[in-house]
Amino acid sequence: MVTLLLISVAVGLIGSLTGLGGASILTPILVFEGFPVKEAVACGMVAIIATSSGSASSFVKERIANVKLAMYLEMFTIIGAIVGATITVLIAPVFLYFLFAAFLLTSFINIRSSFNGTYTPPVKQDRLSRWLGLEGTYYDQASNKVVKYKGTNSILGGLGMFVAGIAAGMLGIGAGAFKVIVHEKVLKIPSKVSTATSTFIIGMTALAGVSVYLFTGLLNLTLMAPMAIGVTIGAIVGGRVLNRIRDRNLKILFVIVVILLIIQMLYKGVSAL
Amino acid sequence: MTSPELGSGESKLETVVSYILIIGVVISVLLEIIGISLFYQTYDNVQISQSKTVFISGMNFFAFIIDQIQHLFGSQSAIMFMTLGLIILILTPYIRAISSVVYFAWEKNRHYVLITLFVLIVLTASLALH
Repeated sequence: MVTLLLISVAVGLIGSLTGLGGASILTPILVFEGFPVKEAVACGMVAIIATSSGSASSFVKERIANVKLAMYLEMFTIIGAIVGATITVLIAPVFLYFLFAAFLLTSFINIRSSFNGTYTPPVKQDRLSRWLGLEGTYYDQASNKVVKYKGTNSILGGLGMFVAGIAAGMLGIGAGAFKVIVHEKVLKIPSKVSTATSTFIIGMTALAGVSVYLFTGLLNLTLMAPMAIGVTIGAIVGGRVLNRIRDRNLKILFVIVVILLIIQMLYKGVSAL
Repeated sequence: MTSPELGSGESKLETVVSYILIIGVVISVLLEIIGISLFYQTYDNVQISQSKTVFISGMNFFAFIIDQIQHLFGSQSAIMFMTLGLIILILTPYIRAISSVVYFAWEKNRHYVLITLFVLIVLTASLALH
């Protein structure tokens, strides 16, 4: 447990710096160490609740997350997570290796899209988005300006989040990268609001997934405890050093980590065939 | 800087929710640390166990909490502390869901009462029906 705790601190730190989240990295490591993939997924989901709640201090400081948007999208992600976790309980483990590797690929999409420059609000807001009051403002420190934004395409965005919820529940991950894609590309929300709102939603989605895993006999307390402690400490430390590390170095670290994780999961999948 | 369009009410909700989450996760992590320490005292090692006693299975979450409280000092203390840590960890976002419903009801925002109530009902059903 001590080794796992130390690994979890390191993983929480890397997960926080790269934006991947702890569970996306820890699950393949546990699988590599010989733990059953379903057990790793279930414990990863608990670790996500811990990191998500632990990072809540950033909400207090920055107030960028859009609470209403988070509440609306949670309706879809929690249903998705329950469906996803139920699928994981029922299917053969071999599928999980390949699905995990495939989903990690979506992390690469954000690397380019997060540097698109200034935010342009949608010309027209649909009726449901107006009804939901999906709009807001935030202070952008980099440009020293107050940015006004509006969300649109609420139904399509909700469906996208349902898919993100399925992936999160199935694989025991936050699926943050995919959620941010839906926020930015479909709902037309600015990047910073999108990332902060996604962190807000991840904990609730993980709770929905855990509600399925709780009593399936997959939740090992001696595996879950060091993971939850370590990843939380790592994520808090990561959040504090994030601004001191150069962006280019972070991107290189991100690419290396994701490639290694994909190779590892594909290798396990092929070996299990 | 606070987003003006979010209004002070929602900012207050965010602050309250954030503190609920932070306090919950701190208590949970402390209980897990105590649990691991007691595990070491009991077994003289901190190996990850595959024994049946370290796996959670059986009843719905709310019945599980009542059962744990009833047997608070009867069960093995290391496992008890780890289980309590897990329960508190799970309860933190659940309390967040309850506080969101209460907040929007107090604000008389019917749209968001419906939305947050939906989230709460689904989570409660999923935790209770297993």
